[in-house]
Amino acid sequence: MTAATLPPVLSLKNIVSGYGGLDILKGISLDVGAGEFVTVVGPNGHGKSTLLKTISGLVPLRAGSISIDGTEVTGKPHTVAGLGVAHVPQGDMLFPEMSVLENLLMGAYLAPGKAEIDRRLDEVYTLLPKLSDRRHQIASTLSGGERRMAGIGRGLMMGGRILLIDEPSLGLAPLIIEQIYGVIAELSKAGRTILLVEENPARVEDLADKLHLLDDGAIVWSGPPADLLAREELLATYLGG
Amino acid sequence: MTLDILMSILVAGITTGALYALATVGLSLVWGSMGMLNMAHAAMLTMGGYAAFTVSSALGLPVIAGFAGAIVIGMIGGSLLYMLIVRNLLKNDKSTFESNVMIATVGIGIALENAILMIYGGQPLKQPLSIPGTLMLGPLALPYQNIVIILTVVVLMAFIALLLNRTRMGRAIRATAQNRDAAQLMGVAVNRVYFQVLVLSGGLAGICGVMVSSITQLSPPLGNDPMLKAFIMCVVAGLGNLPGAVAAAFGLALLEAFIQYAAGARWGFPSLLFVVIAVLIWRPSGLFGRAQIRRL
Amino acid sequence: MSNQPVSRPNSPTGSAKTDLAITVVLIAIAIALPFFVDSRYVMGQIVLALFYATIASQWNLLFGFSGIFSLAQMAIFAFGGYATAMICFYFGWNVWAAVVPGAVGAMIFSLAVGLACLRLTGVYVALLTLAIAQTMYQLIVTDTECFTMVGSICRQFTGGAVGFARFGELGTRALLKGQWLVGNYAIVATLFAITMLFTYAIIKSPIGLAFRALKDNPGYAVARGVNRFQAQLLVFGISAFFTGLAGGFYAAHFQAIGPGILSMSQLMFIIAVVVVGGVGTFWGPLVGTVILVAADELMREAGEFRTFGLGIIIALSIILMPKGLVGRLGDLVRWSRKRGQAAHREKLAESPAPAGE
Repeated sequence: MTAATLPPVLSLKNIVSGYGGLDILKGISLDVGAGEFVTVVGPNGHGKSTLLKTISGLVPLRAGSISIDGTEVTGKPHTVAGLGVAHVPQGDMLFPEMSVLENLLMGAYLAPGKAEIDRRLDEVYTLLPKLSDRRHQIASTLSGGERRMAGIGRGLMMGGRILLIDEPSLGLAPLIIEQIYGVIAELSKAGRTILLVEENPARVEDLADKLHLLDDGAIVWSGPPADLLAREELLATYLGG
Repeated sequence: MTLDILMSILVAGITTGALYALATVGLSLVWGSMGMLNMAHAAMLTMGGYAAFTVSSALGLPVIAGFAGAIVIGMIGGSLLYMLIVRNLLKNDKSTFESNVMIATVGIGIALENAILMIYGGQPLKQPLSIPGTLMLGPLALPYQNIVIILTVVVLMAFIALLLNRTRMGRAIRATAQNRDAAQLMGVAVNRVYFQVLVLSGGLAGICGVMVSSITQLSPPLGNDPMLKAFIMCVVAGLGNLPGAVAAAFGLALLEAFIQYAAGARWGFPSLLFVVIAVLIWRPSGLFGRAQIRRL
Repeated sequence: MSNQPVSRPNSPTGSAKTDLAITVVLIAIAIALPFFVDSRYVMGQIVLALFYATIASQWNLLFGFSGIFSLAQMAIFAFGGYATAMICFYFGWNVWAAVVPGAVGAMIFSLAVGLACLRLTGVYVALLTLAIAQTMYQLIVTDTECFTMVGSICRQFTGGAVGFARFGELGTRALLKGQWLVGNYAIVATLFAITMLFTYAIIKSPIGLAFRALKDNPGYAVARGVNRFQAQLLVFGISAFFTGLAGGFYAAHFQAIGPGILSMSQLMFIIAVVVVGGVGTFWGPLVGTVILVAADELMREAGEFRTFGLGIIIALSIILMPKGLVGRLGDLVRWSRKRGQAAHREKLAESPAPAGE
């Protein structure tokens, strides 16, 4: 499934970003090819979310460059979204007072027309039938798992070329986590380009093509997931066993 | 209390309630979507009233043109507010925006009020956009002007509700209010939303100014009284809560009308304030508001 | 975790040494002023400016240091003035005796306002305090009921639209005759100095530290047991005492007090003073007062443009220099110091090089 021959959809070169006087990311480079599933793992507070937020423009880039399909992007989040980056943020960040359907429609905010919106809605409802049942429910009243699905569904509605998914397992019961990863696996199988961040490398063992280990704002190891899981000393040092 | 006194209090209360609702919604919309308390809203209201006066009295154009003039001036005011003040303040530290924009609009508001004073003078003027006459329905005396005000406000409220709930632009405004970062991720240009909201609320302020001056008189501090009332209604409802704001506007206006009848005009506002403070001690984030969340 | 030093939060005051130096210079200027100013008009304006500086310093203590956006500042000032005037008027007290209960009254009033408002945050506080101030104004202006008869003239309890006049004075006329204004100047300047001293003490006290903590990291401060409501209420009360005291002396100095000081443009002037000088800077209100009183004198020529100009000045200065003149000056000093340090470091880096060769 790797697409080494194709030019990367997303390419990060030495990116630095952070908040206030603090640099969180200290020069990160990585590529995501078309149809590839890339995962960044690392302990909490070491910049995983900041990485995705920097790509989507929520956190301003301080140095380095980000290119999508070979063109450098420097911009505000709404322009990055226009370039086909669909960010499913940590904690879902749904619009709490809107119905599920309205949340999904917000995902398709930049969609070119009604026909296209309906097509994407069908697609999302097929993949996540629960959302179809709950379409008129207010987002803040959904359960945690349903909320996560709505977040992913909203990201899919953006029709983006690349999906950025931030810790989809966060705060969910094991059974629900399995369901959510099932959906992500289907998306990957269907050829979607995915960059996902996760605390636990075991969850993406069978999914990810490539894995990067993030520590204190820098990538310290890269390779296939199975290799990392085999290296106990790395797991112990960086992920606390 | 005889029936016709009760009726006239009700009519007066509902009319002022409609006006307060219009003023409150304009304020609350801006607060809810961008966390900006527009202290210049009163001056924009006054500008609308005077614009209608100029267009229909001084230029002699038909009444509808005067009305349109008020809306246009309000919208221009709103867009200038965005371009000259808000856009520049947004560039600074986000945490200081809330208080800085309040101080800046306080300054703009007083400058505008003073500009109107310099242009038109301080003497009260008669708003030409008022309709004389009264509709008699049995014991009920309904001045045409009050009917027009109530109907206009109902139509405007329906328009705003449709705009916010049924259009792409309205959804983007609500999305920005509920979660600004997420809205940006969906491709919403929040600065454009801010601009739209300020223009919209400017237009509403213009209409409100015409309405208020049609039952009182035009004077430079015209907008201050409805604005002060609108402020405390926003506080009662929880800032940014539009349906709550409308309910609070009618409720408090009726209460005010009754107190003014029972205890004299000067006790109207102090009593309202007392009620508001009592409500806030009981529920610190407003009667209908949930803590710390602002939304539309 | 970081490879960059976290910039030290800006201290609200200068270093203790700088503050002391500024104080000494200011006291020297204050003592020298009466010898250089002949004009009675100018002296009168200076006294007025000192009142403005006092009110502004207290508003700055509330807004700049404690995060309380109160628009009731002039109402509290007026409360002190009215209370003093009414005690003198109705009970025939000497003003010197009346200012203290007047200030205590203002403090009690502000604590009541604070209890009602300070549980709320940000704009809610602003809206409620504005509403309270406006209510006070309206109740005074619309007061038409006769309370007592003075000769054949009906007097309202609150003085109504006219207010109170000739209820007493500071006694400087009897003591200093023609130089009474200098005497009043000395009194008001002393009041200002004492107010500033207390303000400084509050900023440096544990309460001041608590507020800085609340500003830097509210969550952490609350977790460490900082109670925002109690701390704000305390500062609100203390500042009201000084504001009310200033109100009492204001009434005594002018021998009159009326509802005019509750007008929006007066409040605006105080806000403008703090914004132009520098919100949250210790010397800001004084700098702002000097600048704005001078600008006001210049605009007096322009007559009706005065209020208009003030409004524009407020809006422009918050956009162009959100930290005010003092903040700008501080930036400048830090910038030049940094440059100086950088140059110094470069020299250090260069000097060992030849030795190594």
